[in-house]
Amino acid sequence: MAGSFPWLTLLTFSPIIGLIVLLFLPGTNRRALRWTAIVTTLVPLALSLWLFAVHDASDPDAFREKADWITIALNHEAVNIESSAYVFQYHLAIDGLSLPLVVLASLVAVMAALASVHIKKRWKAFYVWFLLLETGMLGVFLARDLILFFLFFELTLIALFFLIGIWGSLNREKAANTFLIYNGLGSALMLIAFVLLIATAGASLNATQQGGDLVYTGDYATIRSNLTAENSLTNLPGHYENPFALSDGMRWAIFILLLAAFGIKLPMLPFHTWMLRVHAEAPPSVVMIHSGVLLKMGGYGLIRFGVGLFPGLAEEAAFVLALLGAAGVLYGAALAFVQTEFRLVLAYSSVSHMGIVLLGIASLNEIGLQGAVYQLVSHGLISALLFLIVGSLHERTGTTELDELGGLARPMPFMSGMLLAAGVASLGLPGLSGFVGEFLSFLGLFETMKWVTAIAAIGVILAAVYILRSVLKITFGPQQERYAALKDARLIEAVPMIALMAFIVLLGIYPSVLTDAMQGSFDDIIAQLNARMGG
Amino acid sequence: METVLSQYAWLVPVFPLAAFLILLAFGRGMKRTGPVIATLGSLASLVLSALVLIEQLGGADEYNNGFDWIQIGGYTLTVGFDVTNLTALMMVVVSLVAFLVNVYSIGYMKDDERISVFFAYVALFTCSMLGLVIADNLLMLYIFWELVGLCSFLLIGFWYYKPEAKAAAKKAFIVTRVGDVGFLIALLLLFWYMPDHDLSFAAIANVFGQTGLITEGITTLIAILIFLGAVGKSGQFPLHVWLPDAMEGPTPISALIHAATMVAAGVFLVARTFPIFEASPAALDTVAWVGAFTAIFAASIAIAQDDIKRILAYSTVSQLGYMMMALGLGSVTAAMFHLFTHAFFKALLFLGAGSVIHAVHTQNIHEMGGLGKTMKTTAWTFAVGALALAGIPPLSGFWSKDAILAEALHDHPALFAIGIAAALLTALYMSRLFFLVFAGKPRKGASGHESPAVMTVPLVVLALLAVVAGFVEMPFEGTGWFGEWLTGHAAAHEGTALVMLVSTAVGLLGIYLGWLIYVKGAIPRDAVTKRMPWLTRLLERKYYIDEIYHAVFVVSLRAIGRAFDAFDRHVVGGAVRLAGGAAVWTGRAATRMQNGQLQSYGLYAVIGLVILAAAIAGRRFW
Repeated sequence: MAGSFPWLTLLTFSPIIGLIVLLFLPGTNRRALRWTAIVTTLVPLALSLWLFAVHDASDPDAFREKADWITIALNHEAVNIESSAYVFQYHLAIDGLSLPLVVLASLVAVMAALASVHIKKRWKAFYVWFLLLETGMLGVFLARDLILFFLFFELTLIALFFLIGIWGSLNREKAANTFLIYNGLGSALMLIAFVLLIATAGASLNATQQGGDLVYTGDYATIRSNLTAENSLTNLPGHYENPFALSDGMRWAIFILLLAAFGIKLPMLPFHTWMLRVHAEAPPSVVMIHSGVLLKMGGYGLIRFGVGLFPGLAEEAAFVLALLGAAGVLYGAALAFVQTEFRLVLAYSSVSHMGIVLLGIASLNEIGLQGAVYQLVSHGLISALLFLIVGSLHERTGTTELDELGGLARPMPFMSGMLLAAGVASLGLPGLSGFVGEFLSFLGLFETMKWVTAIAAIGVILAAVYILRSVLKITFGPQQERYAALKDARLIEAVPMIALMAFIVLLGIYPSVLTDAMQGSFDDIIAQLNARMGG
Repeated sequence: METVLSQYAWLVPVFPLAAFLILLAFGRGMKRTGPVIATLGSLASLVLSALVLIEQLGGADEYNNGFDWIQIGGYTLTVGFDVTNLTALMMVVVSLVAFLVNVYSIGYMKDDERISVFFAYVALFTCSMLGLVIADNLLMLYIFWELVGLCSFLLIGFWYYKPEAKAAAKKAFIVTRVGDVGFLIALLLLFWYMPDHDLSFAAIANVFGQTGLITEGITTLIAILIFLGAVGKSGQFPLHVWLPDAMEGPTPISALIHAATMVAAGVFLVARTFPIFEASPAALDTVAWVGAFTAIFAASIAIAQDDIKRILAYSTVSQLGYMMMALGLGSVTAAMFHLFTHAFFKALLFLGAGSVIHAVHTQNIHEMGGLGKTMKTTAWTFAVGALALAGIPPLSGFWSKDAILAEALHDHPALFAIGIAAALLTALYMSRLFFLVFAGKPRKGASGHESPAVMTVPLVVLALLAVVAGFVEMPFEGTGWFGEWLTGHAAAHEGTALVMLVSTAVGLLGIYLGWLIYVKGAIPRDAVTKRMPWLTRLLERKYYIDEIYHAVFVVSLRAIGRAFDAFDRHVVGGAVRLAGGAAVWTGRAATRMQNGQLQSYGLYAVIGLVILAAAIAGRRFW
């Protein structure tokens, strides 16, 4: 079915093709630039939907693409070692964990490209960075080599830096700098953790007649099996003679580094403040991607690298993770309640909702982990929709300060209705996607930590409080004179709103679409945890 | 007997859903046809559910069908529907009231420019409420439970430009959500404690029917948490505060959602999960006392209110308290019977009130008067509803209230006393309301006119139902078939003659008092106010519950939020600035190191070497 055609490479780099086309277009032809970008983003969407449809969990190698990419020979003088080298691979693959997020990323990218109609200047450069960003985030979810993952991860960072810094609002440069420094810090921690992993668990000996070939690799599967297999070098007692061994202390160090690196991205309390500025300053279509997809890389990383590589440590840290999650849920909600700027309400609401992801992860059972991924996807769709609306609102009213808005339901019934629908999706109304993610996360965690779940569930009330407060402030109330003449959504704005809402409803009514795709993705983790408990 | 139509019971909520979708897609251009489509949707539901009920009355077997909704690992969450006697009855009640309210609204809302939006919301509500009724498991019931809450919110806030409507809608959603979290946690508990993680009502009845499968402590906890959800939805103390405010919505909505159907969902929920409550005496006691307290508490507030709809709203809260009390006394029959009759006479009263408001454009009963002459149909149908509510024989409310009071007398004399006292207050506030609105002379020049037939016909239909609905269960030999049909065993009727006598006497006394005060003037109206001004104020201000909640919850949440905000800005944000500052500082320091002096380069090299050596030496301790 897949043959040998590199579908995943095409998926990842198709935005680059569009980018090249863009380079040949005149920078003043706004329409051509915009439509080229929009059409370009449709390619990965079509490909990812197709992959989603044909993906078969029992055949994980169907779309695997693997090639040696960088080989650095080492001059190793040790006994019995023929040759040694660092080998980094170009390695893309899909599984039940990454596929939903790939679909999310490509979907949100299309919607954000449509929403970029509000961008006012330097369109060509904007779409170039935009498409680079898309390649970066698709690559993050597909890469199965640590170094490749890191490169894609950094690509998103750089692209977003320019998108904020050039096209943001008043304090854009400051916001871009804060973003870069803080995320750069996170990347540094990630890199340290990755290097430590490659240098120990990444090592594999290929026995030959004379002795063996020593290869250090960033391959996820190799590292994972070395970390988990009982008699791998990594797990043999650590002495001078065995430089590949990882002591408990080192494992914890790596685990905590990963936790911090991806915790910053998620964001996990107390690493969240950097993203407030991004929410408030970046252009709304960029925030759609930022809040809709980029934050999800944090959750993805936590599951893939944190829990996936160190299930045992994750289990020991589960209580702390759950507490951090619950704290995030409540803290974010309380803060969202007192904000006067709508974008900050949404930013803190993201903190609160990503707390739920953490709760799902901390459950370390299949329901909770699926709940966490479900919540990632659902929040991605909902926050993309919310910022899509914010962008259109801001375009018309010139402000997103709650005190200056009100009564918009009369001049703009469609958009106000959409805002209300997105709002109730965000507060977890059943029938819409937010509920399923929330419910599964709570359900999973409840098995192991009843009290933490019960306390975090108070966040469900608080979500209603802050969402309704701000959404009703904008749409309800007496009509204001200055907004009387505003026009409702245009077609190009309405289409992405309806599309996103349709996905939110679909996932709310028929969750099996997503849960069936994730079926079995966490079997390895669960099996390992069970083995630990048994042994 | 074979089940034929019951297999298609899932279609009952689908008709209004289809109407909703049509209105959602094309509503803007359908000011005239939109209402008709929604009404036809509810009519289709009514016809089918009536056929299903007839089939069930004929002794058909219960029917259940469903499919897997989410499957994760070895766990499955299902959706499905259940046709039992209880659900068949509820479906008819809901679709009947919904249909009548739809017809009525065609007249009542005719001049509103957003009429198709209104009917779309009503259709969505009807669909969700019917879904709630036929759900065969607790999770699905919860899903529809939240959806009816959303519709209630949307319809309370239908006139979104009114600040009061906005506040009331918000309050309704949030206050009921407090209860819903209890319900949610109960769901989580049940999922993990039930064998096979089965949340269906059949399994619940099976498991909790046997002793010892689930410990009593957990049983009580689950029951109380479910009840918390019911308290929120059914406006029981202390979560009753949203229901009177909900009267900001259009009056047909008050009749449909906030009197007949949604607010009764709490009672239905407890009845549906009754095996859990039966397994826990402590939970039953809680339900009984909360219900009884709410009954008298809300009735006392109703006496001092001036807004016609608010009086009826407090009356609803009070009557729901009666139903909860019946459940707490262990009688699903009495509770469901009262729910059944109450749905008709309270919907009737609200629609009658709507007819009055439509005519005089005020809701203050002191500004009305003498409307009995100009609005004959409204007046006599309203009188039927009021008498039924006051419990005067042989109207429906008399039989159902007596069934509850008889249970109370049998089990719990103290609750009986409270019930009788609340009945007296009920009769008093209803006679006050009726006489001030329909008797005497017109005040403030509002003379009123009768409403069009599209509004009065539903009134007449409901009035007929309010008269006859009680005859399905009478406390005489061989007449109690409702209870037997619903629960499988006939209700006990001991000492009912006494109950009938006392409650009738109390009802008549209340009406007589009202007549003396508001018609005859034999007792001055301000007699109580003069002697005990504090009491009047306490009742008028509704025991200051709203003020207390505002001070305790709203103010403190805001304070916490502000404190967190300051913390976030200065402490957490400070750390970020520090990190940023550190990067800049490091950069500057490193720049200074590039000073061109060979000695300092040498020094850095040595320092670096030492660090490297230390690191390598430290490797052994890893």
